[in-house]
Amino acid sequence: MPEEIYSQLMKELSEGKYVFTGELEPEKAGNVNEPIAAARDLIGLVTACNVTDNPQSFAYVSSLAASYKIELETGMECVYQLRCSDRNRMALLSDVLGAGTLGIKNILALAGDHVALGDSPDTKPVFDLDSTTLIHMIRKIVDEGKDLGGKEIEDPPKLHVGGAAAPGAAHLKSEVAKVKRKINVGVEYLQTQVVYYPEILDKFFTELGPVDVPILVGIFPAKSFGAADFFDKYVAGVDVPPDYLANLKKTKEIKDKEERKAEVDRVNVEFFTDFLEYLKGTPAAGCHMMAVGYPRIIGPLKKVME
Amino acid sequence: MIAQEQKPIEEILGYLEGKENVVLLGCGGCATFYHTGDKKAVDDLAAKLKSAGKTVTKISMPLGMQACDTEKSAIFLQKEKSAVENCNAILVMSCGDGVQVVTEYVDDEMGLAKSVIPANDAIGLVGGGPFKFKETCQSCGMCELGKTAGICPLTACGKGLMNGPCGGVRVDDKCEIDPEKDCAWVKIYKRMEKLGELDEFIAMRAPHEWSKCKRPRLFELEEPMGMMDMMGAMMNFNTITGYMSMMLAKPPEKEEEK
Ligand code: SF4
Ligand code: SF4
Repeated sequence: MPEEIYSQLMKELSEGKYVFTGELEPEKAGNVNEPIAAARDLIGLVTACNVTDNPQSFAYVSSLAASYKIELETGMECVYQLRCSDRNRMALLSDVLGAGTLGIKNILALAGDHVALGDSPDTKPVFDLDSTTLIHMIRKIVDEGKDLGGKEIEDPPKLHVGGAAAPGAAHLKSEVAKVKRKINVGVEYLQTQVVYYPEILDKFFTELGPVDVPILVGIFPAKSFGAADFFDKYVAGVDVPPDYLANLKKTKEIKDKEERKAEVDRVNVEFFTDFLEYLKGTPAAGCHMMAVGYPRIIGPLKKVME
Repeated sequence: MIAQEQKPIEEILGYLEGKENVVLLGCGGCATFYHTGDKKAVDDLAAKLKSAGKTVTKISMPLGMQACDTEKSAIFLQKEKSAVENCNAILVMSCGDGVQVVTEYVDDEMGLAKSVIPANDAIGLVGGGPFKFKETCQSCGMCELGKTAGICPLTACGKGLMNGPCGGVRVDDKCEIDPEKDCAWVKIYKRMEKLGELDEFIAMRAPHEWSKCKRPRLFELEEPMGMMDMMGAMMNFNTITGYMSMMLAKPPEKEEEK
């Protein structure tokens, strides 16, 4: 556990409180009105929200600008996602210092999807650092006040760094080895890729063994069949269970909008109640709910954990 | 070797618009190996240019005579000096190195102002064969293979990560970016596991030193290879026996398409 605590997220994690986090997605727009509205809906329901950084390599409003604006206007604590796909080590350093300057307290350090998967496939991919070396760099900045080359940083930012894990990786041993590498270089908490199957998480926790870094498990209650289907097709490394997908698909036949919403909620609560009940018996420190644009589901799901 | 493919003829003709008199220069190096600069390739492309109404002077370079070697290109360009002087464009069937060596020579040594146009797209440094080749090194100037069980993380990993795998590995251990390609980091893991080097896998490798690759890179040899050295190198005993056993061996069969 970190010696000094700078954020509410880290405070609750270190106190052993069961933590819920949410997700906000800046859009292709000259404003962050949507995620600000979504953040308002999530206040009181989650401890902090991830603000995505060009998810699936689609270029949107900068997650740093969005994190800052969202915190300023709503008071929601943000986890600034920072990926290596689009920035070299200098730009990453600048953005980490920028985040500190703007008062951001959490960064989630990611390699990021390859740019070939997104909406600017002709762009030059960067990946000058990877998730591990980015975590290492951030710890060096915060703890030692130095950059990668050892040069002094005046008034270094005070923030925490998290990393990702992919329990569903088919070659689990190499994934777990990488997670251990991230732990060795000082990652302060981990957030998993979305998991749907208890067996997958069990295998992951067994392979990883006991670690003293809190792990948030990612779940994705989809607000519509379309959202789940997109996730299934385009998010690298995740398979949405066919039964859950089929149940969501059936809701498309319901004509009345309100009835359809209620049925989507029912499908989600049914599926995730079982999963969350199972989570209680795992070493997970909390749950990251990637329910983008679907805040109304978080309350009912949190109840399961009470 | 540098793998290459010929550009679509439409693109080539696009560059040659308004340039009727063309010198077509082959290459006896990699381009000969990949059938994009050998005599037959020169003949075939010349025929296409002629049917598009161009006047063509063909220059093919025999095996061992690479367009990217100034001394060798010079011999063949000088042999057709008047064609080179009178042409509207020189179309070079080599990688970009060959094209630019020719450009410099024609500019600086022949004192001419000519369009020099690439006929090929260079794909990269590749190894393997005889049918399938893959890019395994990008000549980064600071080799990391000693830290990664002999598999290049910069080239074989789609993202060029020094500390993989990323979260996108597919169920069959293929790469996030391309279902046809293996995840380099799963391969590195498996090799390190076999070699008993998993501790090294878990240890963080420092970010790559790109300062070792300041482009354009220049390179100097104290003793260049002269023509006589080359002949000697080609004619040594091992080469001769090597060629003979290659010729006696059964030619490789192409894998059946599934
Ligand atoms: S690290 Fe890779 S690109 Fe660099 S020299 Fe070695 S094999 Fe080539
Ligand atoms: S799947 Fe493997 S090879 Fe492909 S980008 Fe990720 S780590 Fe690299």
